[in-house]
Amino acid sequence: MRITLVNVAYLVASLLFVLSLRGLSAQQSARRGNLLGTLGMLLAVAVTLGAVVAPDNKALAAGPSDLGLLAASIGVGAVIGAVLAARVAMTSMPELVAVLHSFVGAAAALVGIGSEMNGVRAGGAPDVAHHVEIHAGVFIGAITFTGSVIAFLKLRGTIGSKPLVLPARHALNASLVFACIFLAVAAFRGGEAVRVPYLLASTGVASVLGAHLVLAIGGGDMPVVVSLLNSYSGWAASAAGFMLGNDLLIVTGALVGSSGAILSYIMCKAMNRSIWNVVFAGFGDQGGVVPAAKKGEPAKKVNETNIDGAADLLLGAKNVIVVPGYGMAVAQAQHAVKEITTLLERRGTKARYAIHPVAGRLPGHMNVLLAEANVSYEAVKEMEEINEDFEETDVVVVIGANDIVNPSALDDPGSPIYGMPVLEVWKAGRVIMLKRGMAAGYAGVDNPLCYLDNTLMLFGDAKASVQKLLHAVSARAEQQAA
Amino acid sequence: MVEEVKASANAAPPAEPASGGQKPGGSAKDAGGEPKVSIGVLKEIEPRERRVAATPASVGRLVKMGLAVIVESGAGASAGFEDAAYAEAGAQIVPKAADVIREADVITKVRPPGAHPETGEHEADQLRAGQKLISFLWPAQNKELVERLAKRKATVLAMDAVPRITRAQKLDALSATANVNGYRAVIEAASHYGRLLGGQVTAAGRIKPAQVFIIGAGVAGLAAIGAARALGAMVKAFDTRPVVREQVTSMGAEFVPFEFQGETGEGQGGYAKEVSDAYLAAEQQLIAEHCRTSDIVITTALIPGKKAPELITSGAVVGMHRGSVIVDLAAEQGGNCALTERDRTVERYGVTIVGHTDLTSRMALQASELYAMTIVNLIDEIMGKKKTWELSLDDEIQRGMLVLLDGELKWPPPRPEIRGGAPAPAPKPPAHAPKPEVPESPWPGRIGTALALAFLTPVGLFGSQELVQHLTVFLLACVVGWHLVWNVTPALHTPLMSVTNAISGIIVIGGMLLAANGGGGGAPVAALLGAVAVLLASINVAGGFLVTQRMLRMFRK
Repeated sequence: MRITLVNVAYLVASLLFVLSLRGLSAQQSARRGNLLGTLGMLLAVAVTLGAVVAPDNKALAAGPSDLGLLAASIGVGAVIGAVLAARVAMTSMPELVAVLHSFVGAAAALVGIGSEMNGVRAGGAPDVAHHVEIHAGVFIGAITFTGSVIAFLKLRGTIGSKPLVLPARHALNASLVFACIFLAVAAFRGGEAVRVPYLLASTGVASVLGAHLVLAIGGGDMPVVVSLLNSYSGWAASAAGFMLGNDLLIVTGALVGSSGAILSYIMCKAMNRSIWNVVFAGFGDQGGVVPAAKKGEPAKKVNETNIDGAADLLLGAKNVIVVPGYGMAVAQAQHAVKEITTLLERRGTKARYAIHPVAGRLPGHMNVLLAEANVSYEAVKEMEEINEDFEETDVVVVIGANDIVNPSALDDPGSPIYGMPVLEVWKAGRVIMLKRGMAAGYAGVDNPLCYLDNTLMLFGDAKASVQKLLHAVSARAEQQAA
Repeated sequence: MVEEVKASANAAPPAEPASGGQKPGGSAKDAGGEPKVSIGVLKEIEPRERRVAATPASVGRLVKMGLAVIVESGAGASAGFEDAAYAEAGAQIVPKAADVIREADVITKVRPPGAHPETGEHEADQLRAGQKLISFLWPAQNKELVERLAKRKATVLAMDAVPRITRAQKLDALSATANVNGYRAVIEAASHYGRLLGGQVTAAGRIKPAQVFIIGAGVAGLAAIGAARALGAMVKAFDTRPVVREQVTSMGAEFVPFEFQGETGEGQGGYAKEVSDAYLAAEQQLIAEHCRTSDIVITTALIPGKKAPELITSGAVVGMHRGSVIVDLAAEQGGNCALTERDRTVERYGVTIVGHTDLTSRMALQASELYAMTIVNLIDEIMGKKKTWELSLDDEIQRGMLVLLDGELKWPPPRPEIRGGAPAPAPKPPAHAPKPEVPESPWPGRIGTALALAFLTPVGLFGSQELVQHLTVFLLACVVGWHLVWNVTPALHTPLMSVTNAISGIIVIGGMLLAANGGGGGAPVAALLGAVAVLLASINVAGGFLVTQRMLRMFRK
């Protein structure tokens, strides 16, 4: 295949990716966007295959064994991917996304190492720019890989979500970065014999750095971490593009990289924190201080309610808003919640959902869960859309959310989450808060909402509580109808 | 309407028919106590005007405030209020307009004073020095009338000059009548249109809903939107003031925005303002486009104190369907449509153009009720608790409405201190302590620039042509990505992530090139690494796209 033809096909593929992202900007066009992206990818793979089988220079055509290996890896990879995609529960989306990021990171690092090996074999002194590209690509790839693996493990709960705060961790990070730079320089100067070993060593150091960076971030900051890693995986692909002189990789990587960067920015904005603060502050260590200082005070009183009380309140309400949080995802309670709101709607109650940008562990996670439970996306409102409506709302049901409904974010300058935009649920007539116990949210911050007069606490496992609530509401509704 | 008249007559039946015409409480100037201030109500002389400045209910309110009320016989007849009902409410009925003007301290009217169509006598000439007049006046357009009133040394308050501030809303006669006007405009249009407005699907076929286009989303425009929507029409509304978008959409109409080189049509005090010629031309063009697809056009665009802007050119009328209807609510101020004829319904190029200025009068009963209440509220505002006529020139409302004070010209009022447009919602006071706003630090930008220079300079000095090309592509792609993703709705952030995830599986290309081994020229280990990379990236590609598809399928309306 002529190289220009290949490049034109790559150009078309990049345009398809651009259109794909554009399609995703609205619900109506999102599916077509996904389709366009798939098309672009198929085109790119097909053309690359063609280029590999029948290149301009016939001498470079791949041998049958290489092709077999190639076909096998594509096939096996695609099957594994398809199975993962079909099996994953929507509540586990964050884990899936994280593990997929790690694959991109690993692939980018492997491509970098492989091309360095080829370069050494081909001989000749390396070009500075190319050398930098390889080291940078491998560095980003390795960080993405181990960072995503750690994020995956944290999201799965295999390792605790508490941030790991080592003493002098900033110094540690800095020295790891310098070690990588040093290894790159040394490899350049050291000649062919050391180039590959030094690159491998650098990969190892970068892997440690990636793991350490994510270990230091608390579980609740995961939306930011996952979108940051999303961004990294794009930059890694872009770096590989520089390395191989391939514009398609550069463009696509840059698209993904900026997408992830924007998502991270939006998430940070939603928590009123800077990206530096999220990545380097080790949030847990600040948050812990405040509740500790309050330990001396007498326990404040909370109003508790039971299933029947909550059901009565809901049935009496004209206007209900449900605020789901990570707790609903963990408990997989979205279906039962949806059934409750459907019941209420049938009785003429206006039922809506309010989503905080950082609810859950992935940007937009709650929207996906509610969509899975067949909630119309028009009933699901963003924070800005609905915050003014709480005043006219009779009952707000908070399910497994804590910090995103914490009033101290607005009125307590001493609170670590002060300044974060929150859902102002306390303005509603009544707030029913489903909660396992009186534990603080992930930020370790006490929530004054629990002690307000118009807040009723419904303690218990979210799934069980929601199920019981559903039964109580439907039984009552039938009774009243009869 | 007939029914409404009956209803109101039943509500206040004359208890003693025999005493009808005689004020029960004695004469206006009661013997003994302080002389009461008396309010006079004139019968409108303009033939098409059916409204009246007072209703039995408003007379009741005034009497309760301790005032005397003198009503010209037959003043409320065309609005459906009988003399007996006024008398029952406590008014003194006098036979002639001259009697009212002679007796009363304050004269109230709807229309500006004018010459009697039969006798030719001008109402203004009958006023005596120091007498007060409250009515619509339009002082900017009626300079001659104002001079005439000034010669009589009268004190005149214009009901059309109520400042647009929250406190003055209860005296806002313009809004009160505009509301009725907008509603009636739709009714007129529907009757001339002669077809169903609402869409229907019947066994005999489908009826398309009428397309209604409303120009100017003030009070009248919004009322028209509501009425047209209620009749089942599809409604679009145009306004040059972008702030009204929310009001328009809340009424269920589509908002047609207009922006011209940064100029908006929002003037002082929340009213529209006059604009440049180029602006007007662009506006006319946009309106012509929308007229072409509309069955009914209702124009309500007024600029305070100026001739109404000509928004629908004759060309735009030519472009409309035969049988379409234009109702021009600005006909009194010259009309928004070039072909409008005042007080007439004409047909031009197959389009019916309604230019009647008495639409409010066609709903005289309720329009009078609303207008009378604004008058009562104004009098209450002026008299306060002292029960005496005491104009307060410091008061923004009274100063704003005052045209003549004992013959001295007081209009236009001095500009009040800057107070933003009233209809724009006032900024809400923060419910809590203000959020801590970190001042934008200029440093990230500066550091970014410095870093970019530090990076790009060596590239420029030592880099290859190829590298620079790749960098160009890279940076442009970053910009494209940056702009694309900002538009993504938050609800789609997870699908966005999984798609970008799949797309970043493009690294598969790199792996493939490596695995193909350059036709056996590469390192065998490298080929193996490439194969592993392909395997991993393929998982990504397949998994990412498929899971996105799965997710998107779940999203439904």
